[in-house]
Amino acid sequence: MGLVQRAVEAAGIPTVGVTLNRSVTARVRPPRAVFLRYPFGHPMGEPLAVAQQTAILEDLLRTLETAGPGTIVEPGYIWKRHRFA
Amino acid sequence: MARLANRVAVQLFRRLPWLGDLWAARRSFVEGGGIPWAPLRRPLAQCTVSLVTTAGVHVTGDTPFDMRDRTGDATFRVIPTGTPAAAMTITHDYYDHSAADRDINVVLPVDRLREAHTAGRVGGVGQRMYSFMGHVNGRHVKTLLEVTAPQVARQLVEDGADAVVMTPA
Repeated sequence: MGLVQRAVEAAGIPTVGVTLNRSVTARVRPPRAVFLRYPFGHPMGEPLAVAQQTAILEDLLRTLETAGPGTIVEPGYIWKRHRFA
Repeated sequence: MARLANRVAVQLFRRLPWLGDLWAARRSFVEGGGIPWAPLRRPLAQCTVSLVTTAGVHVTGDTPFDMRDRTGDATFRVIPTGTPAAAMTITHDYYDHSAADRDINVVLPVDRLREAHTAGRVGGVGQRMYSFMGHVNGRHVKTLLEVTAPQVARQLVEDGADAVVMTPA
């Protein structure tokens, strides 16, 4: 995914991506990433968990607004334990 | 048999996250040199935000991603943003998409982005979403880098996207 992200950014559009594997992201080096320690297949969290998905989207948007090149933001949510408002 | 072995592997990778790190340490990636950078040009409340996923989502009835080629598939599908979730499906044997089958927002947060638009957090939602199937190896890497990823980038520019949110499988 990082390769697509890099291509879009290179075309002049700012990008941010979720990553579930920090070591791959550290090597591919996309412009901005939000790292979640979540199982594969759940980049936005659990199904029908609107508050959780909204919080993750907000993390992504805020990263777009604030992060510098190569930033990997880590909100630190614990899978199925973190209480989203 | 190969598909069964694949299903077992998918569950192992889902349940044992350290397997992913082990896998990543052993395989090679196209590693980034300099980091491409495009600054946000205006406040997000005035930006059209588009979605791109590599989770293998596509419109039901559209050509599915190629699961017979073990080196993957570098093509992409366009999903009009108004497509109802019931008209989308996932073709991707390399991760457990049972959660995303129940709620597409798990891999493609289109409803959440629409809500952000309604709330005024973003200025608009891109008219089209783009979807790859994240398993891309061998000769397909070149196709992705030279053909399909730049093609999606150009289409996003045509769509007037001011920012893009990407989600993997």
